[in-house]
Amino acid sequence: MKIRIIVNGVERELEVEPNELLINVLREKLRLTGTKYGCGIGECGACTVHVNGEPVLSCLTLAVEVDGKEITTIEGLGKDGELDPIQEAFIEEGAVQCGYCTPGFIMTAKALLNEKINPTREEIIDYIKGNLCRCTGYVNIVKAIQKAAEKISQRKSK
Amino acid sequence: MSSITYLESQKDEYRILDQWLKAREYVYVGKDVKRIDALDKVTGRARYVEDFLVEGLTYARIVKSDIPHGVIEWIRPGRAVEHPDFIALVTCEDIPGLNQVGYYIPDQPALAEKKVRFHGEPVALIVSSKPDSLEELRNLVEVEIKPLKAVYDPLEALKDKVLVHEEHGSNIVLRTKVKKGDVSKALENTDYVVENVYKTGYQEHAYLEPEGALAIPMDGGMTIILPAQYPHLAQSIIARVLGYPQSKIRIIQPVIGGGFGGKDDMGPIIGAQAAIAAYKVRRPVLLVYTREDSFTSHCKRDPAYIRYKSGANRDGKLTFVDVEIIFDAGAYANRGPFTLWRATAHATGPYEVPNVDVRGILVYTNKVYQGSFRGFGNPQVQFAAERQMDELADKIGIDPLEFRLKNILRIGSRISTDQVLEDSVGVGEALVRVAEKCGWFEKRKKYGKIVDGKARGIGLACAWHGISTSRGVPDWCNAYINVSKDGSVSIYTGIVEIGQGTHTGLIQIAAEALGIPVEKINLIGGTTDAPDTGATHGSRGLSFGGVAILLAASKIREKVQKVASRIFECKPEDVEIRDGWVFEKIKPEKRISWEEAVKRCYAEGEELSATGYFFMPKGKFDEEKGQGFAYIVFSYMVSAVEVEVDLETGLTRILKVWPAICAGKIVNPKLAVTQIHGATVQGIGYTLMEEVVIEDGKIVNTNYTDYLIPTISDIPEIDEPIFVEDYFKFGPMGAKGLAEMALIPIPAAITNAIKHAVGVKPSEIPYTPEKLYRDLLRRMRE
Repeated sequence: MKIRIIVNGVERELEVEPNELLINVLREKLRLTGTKYGCGIGECGACTVHVNGEPVLSCLTLAVEVDGKEITTIEGLGKDGELDPIQEAFIEEGAVQCGYCTPGFIMTAKALLNEKINPTREEIIDYIKGNLCRCTGYVNIVKAIQKAAEKISQRKSK
Repeated sequence: MSSITYLESQKDEYRILDQWLKAREYVYVGKDVKRIDALDKVTGRARYVEDFLVEGLTYARIVKSDIPHGVIEWIRPGRAVEHPDFIALVTCEDIPGLNQVGYYIPDQPALAEKKVRFHGEPVALIVSSKPDSLEELRNLVEVEIKPLKAVYDPLEALKDKVLVHEEHGSNIVLRTKVKKGDVSKALENTDYVVENVYKTGYQEHAYLEPEGALAIPMDGGMTIILPAQYPHLAQSIIARVLGYPQSKIRIIQPVIGGGFGGKDDMGPIIGAQAAIAAYKVRRPVLLVYTREDSFTSHCKRDPAYIRYKSGANRDGKLTFVDVEIIFDAGAYANRGPFTLWRATAHATGPYEVPNVDVRGILVYTNKVYQGSFRGFGNPQVQFAAERQMDELADKIGIDPLEFRLKNILRIGSRISTDQVLEDSVGVGEALVRVAEKCGWFEKRKKYGKIVDGKARGIGLACAWHGISTSRGVPDWCNAYINVSKDGSVSIYTGIVEIGQGTHTGLIQIAAEALGIPVEKINLIGGTTDAPDTGATHGSRGLSFGGVAILLAASKIREKVQKVASRIFECKPEDVEIRDGWVFEKIKPEKRISWEEAVKRCYAEGEELSATGYFFMPKGKFDEEKGQGFAYIVFSYMVSAVEVEVDLETGLTRILKVWPAICAGKIVNPKLAVTQIHGATVQGIGYTLMEEVVIEDGKIVNTNYTDYLIPTISDIPEIDEPIFVEDYFKFGPMGAKGLAEMALIPIPAAITNAIKHAVGVKPSEIPYTPEKLYRDLLRRMRE
């Protein structure tokens, strides 16, 4: 089957199988390997991407379902060679260890901060609780998202 | 008792380490340098094993036994051969060398041969041209296994009615022993005695990246891109399985999605499996365990059964410790002989105990095998030892903190094996400072009362952890450093980056020794292209890997000093190198750049490459007597935990954790803190949530929905850690190991706090809400 999608701002026409998963299309066909396989059944959030701005688990999404839609992966964050404030904050706050869950966390956090500029600590925890991390104990991930929110609102007020 | 052997040939190395230890003020070491790998990881550019999409790639998956113990009748591809994506079915018959991946005892095949010994054991590999068809293909493979009687309970296995390995003649893999003084005599003269049985379960690593390996036949050998923790070990095991010389096997580490010890064991095993398949199909093979495969078929933290009896007198001094430790090895010995030895040596906790008798037994069962996991046999026994300390304190009627302080190890103390601690023992100070910070005495008085169906409690526990290999087991490290003509520096080390941040710390050490900014240094790690550096385990990566880099860099520094001394017409030792500038100490204004100095070295025949081999001084341990040298040094940890228990639901909420660590010099405080966070939360999971459920030998919870690891909503506040910098003479600038430490005291600290809150006496982890509720009911009935 043929699908047309926009991935990180670039229009693509792809031939896919009816049972082919979005994660595999992104990784194998488009070589966007920043999206990670962690569990394959939607439990860990490592494969989170945005479809039309909404966070979606690409391991549970069929490629044919996203026909005509706009997809953003971790590779599509940041503009003009600059990092997204969330990416910056993850580095600065020491929220990265093995890094395998990091793209998923950043994409989920991005969706949260698109929805809400200044979330409370509780709102951050509630939004991000579907993403698993085994290295950091989450402490600095919360700090990083808080810091990213500050950065974004500072930039907006400028 | 035990004397340490120093090598005459390493005198120069001892001198260099001593110089840096005494410097005490550093430019890069001790600073929060940013992780070198963070940028790649936040942009999705970091390449993990699955991300190397090489030309001609094929995909493999393990075919597993669905019988826990049985005789293999046959394995056939069946209708898989008709599938357009089918490339090959690989079994033990395709192995060109030895079908043997055992670590210490040669009891484990890469692919099952004749027999299977646990449910989920890999019996074959299916190779496909496409990843999407792997599941379909493996379901088509026909495996016929004739079931045998199986044994799952380690105490039952001790009776040898069913033998897991007939050729071994018994299910007992081996026994360990530590003995000091006379326990039975001490018992007669002891005022208070406590005896309990403690049980701990399997723990699953659950790293977000499951196991994987990419084997590429090339250059007349095999290159394996491998998430492992000891490239040279993987090299030797894969060479054995393929029948190749080791030099024909090249291991390269990709970015690794978490290890925690698990990939130390699994790296060589999955690497061997992928290499066998690649050998057969003569194409690159990517073998990845699915999440379910990882749950069913990779090693886990050893379950333990511990009988613990100890005593103390009215004055609060410990008189004896008498322990029997049974470790459930599962189907293969793997690291069990070493986790058990570690548990045996650490069974007293970090205390002076005059009479000690610890006996360990490692026993086979028909279950998934045990392996390395952060703490390596020690969390199990520290749980028992530190729960026991609180029970004893209770019986004597003194405060658990005061009881610990009366017995805590100090410089000059004799440990359980009768080794004398010569330096670097900060645990007493850590105890006092944690107690102060958490408001210990006040909260011990205030808490323990039920208010609105809830009760708060505070508890603490200590841990000690020997660094480097135990006893006289040789341990060495090495590194190779080369300075290019433009002054940039390449470091080659076998130490692996698994997410802990060690490569960043290693670069800081090199920057310090060379006197140049970290940006000028590139590190190539985790590869057999580097000299054999030993494993990245036992909290030795930064401390021991750092020694090698410090030595190699210092040798280069001395060469640059020599050449520069001719320019400045001074003595080499009067030349300083700092921030990329080379100058005479007393005339810093007359300086040349590092690049200029490097050019001079190249022009004047001074070679700017060096290795940094170091052989750790060791003593002897008498296995017969159970006495002697145990470890060259110990790191220590103290954690206090405040909990709130809901008496209606049995749910424990951790409110706050106060950690203190004695790991010598802290090379990068920010990275150290992240290790403490991660290990603490893994410890919380181990203590309260994580339970591998096995029914008839089969693990039934093989995903994150049924096996619960802490999520972001389960974490407590973790206080800023206290660093007690108890410098170690053979560490780089005095650093000891750190990454495992914060997990080890958590099980006892939490359960001691629960006891303080509601009076139950937890003796089993995971201490789930059901168990707590059961104990509460029992207590109410009493």
